[in-house]
Amino acid sequence: MLEPVSAVTIQLGLAALYSLARPGSAVSREAQVVQQVANDAVNSVERSWALFGRKASAISELSALANECAHEGWDGGDARPIDPQAVSKAIAFMRALPDSLPLPEMTAEPDGAVSLDWIRSRNRLLSVSIGAGDRLVFAWLDGSDRGHGVARFVEGVVPARIVDGIAAIMDVRDAAVRAA
Amino acid sequence: MLPSGLPEVVADDEPLARFLMSSSQFNALMVKPAAYMPSAKDGNTSVFRHGAEPRESLLEIAGTHVVGERTLHGVAICTAQQVRASELNVVAQEPPPRHANITGWPVVANDPEQTKAQQKERALLIAQHAVLVRVPR
Repeated sequence: MLEPVSAVTIQLGLAALYSLARPGSAVSREAQVVQQVANDAVNSVERSWALFGRKASAISELSALANECAHEGWDGGDARPIDPQAVSKAIAFMRALPDSLPLPEMTAEPDGAVSLDWIRSRNRLLSVSIGAGDRLVFAWLDGSDRGHGVARFVEGVVPARIVDGIAAIMDVRDAAVRAA
Repeated sequence: MLPSGLPEVVADDEPLARFLMSSSQFNALMVKPAAYMPSAKDGNTSVFRHGAEPRESLLEIAGTHVVGERTLHGVAICTAQQVRASELNVVAQEPPPRHANITGWPVVANDPEQTKAQQKERALLIAQHAVLVRVPR
């Protein structure tokens, strides 16, 4: 049976890894290999922590938004409460976003959907609406260029049109990004 | 003339106030497009024919007709001309006094997602021009 791993255990393990990865301590060929492996492991752990922390913070923000907009008329008019299924899909969408892309800002929409926004400037932005269904609605403004579209979000894969759109709006190079 | 004393036709240069009840509806740069999306119930976006000033009367409208027990976080101001340039319209709709609706949002028959995608693009067009008035808390 699996047992929970305590933070102390993890920290001890990491301390050992850091010790192995320390430069200049390897002499033999075998020791150099061990040092390289430890280095790779440390880099991987640090990268995962940075990404997980970033996405965890965005997901926590989304949960707060869901609470704020959980009641009918949250906008002072007749807005529908934010849809819990839309929130779940928005979380799945953010988890599936390629690591090289910035995370969005988020807000609720009057129909209960979640709006994820990448805003570079007033006239350079892309907005994705996530409702309870699998079809994502998006629109963008890029100077005098503008447009809209609908794409399917299935099996945790962010549609390429949206990935490319975010990369273009946010000036992210190397956007032939792998799905997280 | 309407009961509020305003003309029935909303002039192009009239400012329109959209009350923002969530701080997530704007950021340091701009009012987000979602703030202008139409209601799922009547298909319109509710605004009031008022500019950023006088601030007291703007906040009085919000307090009397919109806010209730909620918190007003900001007000988005655009002009009727900016709405019309986005291929939408503004129509006076009283009561309450000074109330108007942004109307003419596109609808694609039997395709709610395409409908919303087109509406979202129009909302982006308005939002890029909107001026944010922050409400001190």
